[in-house]
Formats: sequence, structure tokens, C-alpha cells
Amino acid sequence: MSSSTVLRELQRDFEAKSNDLSKLQKDIAKNHQVRKKYTIQLGENELVLKELDILNEDANVYKLIGPVLVKQDLAEANANVRKRIEYILAELKRLDGNLQDLEEKQNSKKEAIFKLQERIQSLQAGKAKA
Amino acid sequence: MAAAAGAGAAAEMEKMSVEQVKAVKEQADMEVNILQDSLNNIRTATSRLEVASSALEDLSLRPKGKKLLVPLTASLYVPGTLDDADKVLVDVGTGYFIEKTTAEGKDYCDRKINLLRSNFDQLVEVAAKKKSIADEAAVILQAKLKHLAPST
Repeated sequence: MSSSTVLRELQRDFEAKSNDLSKLQKDIAKNHQVRKKYTIQLGENELVLKELDILNEDANVYKLIGPVLVKQDLAEANANVRKRIEYILAELKRLDGNLQDLEEKQNSKKEAIFKLQERIQSLQAGKAKA
Repeated sequence: MAAAAGAGAAAEMEKMSVEQVKAVKEQADMEVNILQDSLNNIRTATSRLEVASSALEDLSLRPKGKKLLVPLTASLYVPGTLDDADKVLVDVGTGYFIEKTTAEGKDYCDRKINLLRSNFDQLVEVAAKKKSIADEAAVILQAKLKHLAPST
């Protein structure tokens, strides 16, 4: 097998792996963005829950649904906010697992690319000497 | 404590190459900018809450049946009469509104203002630390660059 075909194959492999790496990095960035959004929503919902908790039983709670303010039952509002908080916590945990997975893949891709680079460089050096 | 951390970071940066120090400085600068933006946002939110609080104060002084002008759009006002100035609707977030008395409403505003003020103070501390790291990096970068290219 001629060394130039080996070299070309290695370079193609290198390009493919680099593309994979940049896609992984984009996925990681998107993960961070979604995490940020969820964390903000979680904070807001916890504030609302605190406000609802210090209310008397007979206080009126309204929910904005589109352009309409609808009167809600305090217990129902409490339950809704709690459920939303649970949902956000579950999503955040799922994102955390995702992120770990992506970061592991990113690191192993980086290693593979590095090794490829070494091989390419040594082959090119060998060719230059010949 | 912050000075010791700064000295430790400086010692680290002395050992790094010019490229790395530059990277550290740019990272720290970006973080300082983000923190400054957050501080500005908190200041805006705090001042809006203070306006709301003083508006409530004002509203509670007005008698029932007082004539007023109600804004329908930014340039259209219609005359109206003040009905019940004792109950107010407070926007607590995520689309929920709670009916409160004027006193409770003021209390809500005051609580939020205090929360924001304490967040602001915490952020100011963090921002100061980051700024000192950024400044250290800048100084070390200058020194290294001078060292690499001594002026004749």
C-alpha cells in the first residue's frame, strides 16, 4: 500500500473526526443554553411558590392564560407550581446526564484526533526523508 | 483573603506562556463584562420596584371616587374614577397574579427590593474579584511582552 494513499486516508479520517468534534462542541453549547433557560425558570417558579405559601387560605390567585386573567384555586395553583418545579428538576437532571455523556465523547474524540495527527505527521516526515 | 488569592493567581500566570496569559485575560474580561451586565439589570429591576412601591404609596392616599386618566395605549388616555384602592393585583411571575391589599403589596415590593439588594451586593463582590484577576493578567501580559521584545 503506497504511503501517499495511507496518508490521504488518514487525512480524510482526520477531517471526519474534526467535523464530529465540532458537532459535539455545538451540542455541548446548546446543552448549556437549555440548562440556563431551565435554571432561570426554576428560580422564578420557586419565588412564586414562596409567595403562594405565605398567602392566607382566602386570598385570591389569578393565572394569566393568554389575554385572560382566570381566577384559580390556591391549592390548585400550589399544585401546578410544584409540578412544574418537579418537571424542571427532572429535565435538569436529564440534561446533566446528557452533558456528561457529550463531554466524555468530546474528550475521546480529541484524543483520537491527536493520535491521528501524530501518525500523519510522522508519515509526512517519513515521506519527506525518502 | 482576596489579596492572597490574587497573589497565588499571579504566581501561576508568571509560569504560563504569553498565549496562555492572553487567554486568561480575555476570559476574565468577558466574565467581568457579563457580571457588569447582570449588575445593571439588577439596578434597573430595583429602581422599577421602587417606582412601583412609591406608586402604591401614592395610590393608598387617594380617596375612592377620585377622577383619574387611564392609559389605553401610550398616547390614549380615557377618564375614569378610582374604585377600590385597597386591593391590588401583584405579578409574582410565571403568569400568576395574587390579589393583595395595598399594605401587603408594599410589603411585597420591599421584600423583593431587599432580595435584589443582597443579590447585588454578592455580585459586586464576585465582580471585584474577577476584575482584580483580569487586571493582574493584563499587567503580567504587559511584562511578558516587554520581556520578549525589549526596546532598544
